[in-house]
Amino acid sequence: MESSRDNHIKLQMRERESDYTNLQPYRIFCGTWNVNGQQASEAINEWLCPAEDSEPPDIYAIGFQELDLSKNAYIFSESVREEDWYKRIKEALHPKAKYKKVVKLVRLVGMMLVVFIRKGLELEIYDVMSGTVGTGIMGVMGNKGGVAVRFGLRDSTLCFVNSHLAAHTVEFERPHTDFKDINSRMLFGNRTISDHELVPCFFFFFSSENSLLFCSIVIWLGDLNYRLSDIDNDACKKLISDGRLQELMKYDQLVRQISQKNVFLDYLEGKISFIPTYKYDPGTDTWDTSEKCRTPAWCDRILWRGSNVGQLCYRSHMACKLSDHKPVSSIFESGIKVIDRAKQRQVYEDVMKQLDKWENEFLPQVEVSTMEIKFKDIKFIEQKKEILVVSNTGQVPVQFEFIPKPSDTNFCEPWLSVEPSKAVISVGAKCEVHLSVYVNKDTGPSLNSGKARIEDILVLHLDGGKDLFITVSGNYIPSSFSSSIETLVRMFKPVTDVETGSLIEIVSASTSLQHLILTIDQASSPNPSEDPPLDIPKEIWRLVDHLYKYGMEQDELFRQPGLHSEIQLIRDCLDQGKPRLLPGSVHSVAEALLLFLEVLPEPVVPYEHYDLCLHVCDNFTQAKQVLQRLPTSHRNVFKYICAFLRELLKHSASNFLDARFLGELHLNGHQSSRTAHQTRADHRSSLLCDAF
Amino acid sequence: MAREYDHLFKLLIIGDSGVGKSSLLLRFSDNTFSGTYITTIGVDFKIRTVDINGEKVKLQIWDTAGQERFRTITSTYYRGTHGVIVVYDVSSGDSFANVKRWLHEIDQNCDVVNRILVGNKDDDPDRKVVLTQDARRFADQMGIQLFETSAKENINVEEMFLAITSLVLRSKKDQQQRIQQQANDTVKLGKGSSSKKKKCC
Repeated sequence: MESSRDNHIKLQMRERESDYTNLQPYRIFCGTWNVNGQQASEAINEWLCPAEDSEPPDIYAIGFQELDLSKNAYIFSESVREEDWYKRIKEALHPKAKYKKVVKLVRLVGMMLVVFIRKGLELEIYDVMSGTVGTGIMGVMGNKGGVAVRFGLRDSTLCFVNSHLAAHTVEFERPHTDFKDINSRMLFGNRTISDHELVPCFFFFFSSENSLLFCSIVIWLGDLNYRLSDIDNDACKKLISDGRLQELMKYDQLVRQISQKNVFLDYLEGKISFIPTYKYDPGTDTWDTSEKCRTPAWCDRILWRGSNVGQLCYRSHMACKLSDHKPVSSIFESGIKVIDRAKQRQVYEDVMKQLDKWENEFLPQVEVSTMEIKFKDIKFIEQKKEILVVSNTGQVPVQFEFIPKPSDTNFCEPWLSVEPSKAVISVGAKCEVHLSVYVNKDTGPSLNSGKARIEDILVLHLDGGKDLFITVSGNYIPSSFSSSIETLVRMFKPVTDVETGSLIEIVSASTSLQHLILTIDQASSPNPSEDPPLDIPKEIWRLVDHLYKYGMEQDELFRQPGLHSEIQLIRDCLDQGKPRLLPGSVHSVAEALLLFLEVLPEPVVPYEHYDLCLHVCDNFTQAKQVLQRLPTSHRNVFKYICAFLRELLKHSASNFLDARFLGELHLNGHQSSRTAHQTRADHRSSLLCDAF
Repeated sequence: MAREYDHLFKLLIIGDSGVGKSSLLLRFSDNTFSGTYITTIGVDFKIRTVDINGEKVKLQIWDTAGQERFRTITSTYYRGTHGVIVVYDVSSGDSFANVKRWLHEIDQNCDVVNRILVGNKDDDPDRKVVLTQDARRFADQMGIQLFETSAKENINVEEMFLAITSLVLRSKKDQQQRIQQQANDTVKLGKGSSSKKKKCC
């Protein structure tokens, strides 16, 4: 990921190079001459600075082949000739300018390359390196091969290769292999400015940054040794003397091989308008008259690769007669890159911004159908559902999850459930999240009393992305169910008719009263100005009264379950005070009674009296005493329920109820959590029932 | 091989609802501005890579809901933050008055963190009620840098984000230096005590 971003930046910078790069023209003179081992006995101005070259070049790159054919040159890598030729070169450079050497020279046996740069421009070059590759005897010796110099100039990299490739008219495959060898093995390892004693072998550097491929401009010159094939000597000479060079060019091996893409891929060569430079009788312009009588050939060539290179001339120099080859030269005008740093920085920042933009676009994105979910009129034990639609509007699959808020362990309040709480949504797809509110006996009391409200914030977290806050709210309709006995006995109107404000008042009054009753004893009403509380909650009275009127003879009463929907209607009826008659079957009413008792926040026998009750359950007298300690309203309810149970038992012939079952039921009603005490409690309950 | 970035910092933008926190972020990350106001309900982040003196700094910038009711939830997002941008609206005195509370919020939730004060919507002199000099006095008093910006007109936004990034970067370097210094001191101390020991023996 990291490197791909990096690569992308590099690629983008390269593609937009022209946006921040200016081209500055540089004039480059390139020359190549196979001197056939001759001594530097003549001036070479005719070659390096012919009269027509009025403008001095900025760079000179001059290559020699067969500089020294002596055995010493092979074995000791030193040559007396190089100094002589070097002097001759310096003498022949353009007189209108002064030059400094880029490298003094780089030589491999007979191959020598010298590079000069115009004085003043030498400050613009850097990273000068040179290299040699031998492809001669054993494939490595330096009688054939190449030498090269490479350097940075402003923001371009220039490379000059001087090579002497293997020759044979019938075996023109050879130069190709040599070319390939040089091309692949020419790695610039030595930063040589003074040290030219490079060992004739290839370098063990394989850093691709340094190979020929990574130069912006490569100029390849030398005795490439390509000949004319499929044409005999006379025909060849005839074409030359007739000036039909383009016709003769068809027989040139290099031209053929390049057109077949066998060699010098991506390299260009200018149009040749000079006669073959090989082979002459030394000192003359006469074609070879020796025994071998070689067919003339364009052995000496200059090719280039890279953009913004224009060839101004490509020529041979007949005036130089020392060797059996004529020297060749070419002048190029090439655009050297000069980077505008400010613009480059601007482009770089643009590229980075674009990448950042993409990265941002690839962050998970969702849209939700709503940020606020409102539940209307939530009632006790009545489920309400809402749907939240999460749509993946981003460009990547999204995994979402509801996560807990700080200091919470669950991601939502206990009255809320969310399904699914975690899911993956593919691009463009949607996910329905079902939210349901259900108030039960655990959450009912605080909602009834107004201490808690239906309010929550869900944190919808996108994996690797943002978080959304979904607000959940709703209004809860208080119910007598899950309200305390103390509150209910002070509520003279149905729950729904009581204002929310006064409801909270009643609740707080009841709790403080309860506290007083418990501590001071229950003798008299602590606030005489108020209406005296009811003996028992009217809701219990209505339920019991209904059963008393319509259910006493009912078979399976309390054994057969009621209908949930009917229980909800009964709840509404109790909370709203109407209609007068409770709806639904007696079984539903019976279950509603059990439920009513079960969800009391404080059971009929309050929690603090549990242990004592259990302790005394075998003793009737003690049990009666304990009963006296219960708060008045609770004691009243207890007595009332027991009286009702006794009545029920009287009708056991028709309703088939027995004391044990009713005892269990009664207890289950408000002691279900304490199952461990069940058996003893049963016993106590039966006893108490008997007592009344 | 160059890495994707040299430093990764988490920045947090806080401030009253409607002061332009999301707009500042959008201007900095996407160079866009939307005139329609969409209140942020949640926390969102964007990334941007900047170059500070040749070092690549990747910023992950978190934009938080400014509404009061989300305060307790958003406070959890302060964790791991390197720099906090406290934004007020120069055309709202209330939002400026609340800056103190936001700074307090930072103290409650972060150990040591770089802060910067930003008066946004500084593009309409007629509506400006928080005067620069007052804001500056307050910022000086608190020892925080002040920037007056406009996400809408793209004024000072880049500069402000680069300033907080530089602050964070400098803190990191100072800290590294301190650790290095401590390490050096420890070595010296170690040598000293060992030679002392030898003397004792």
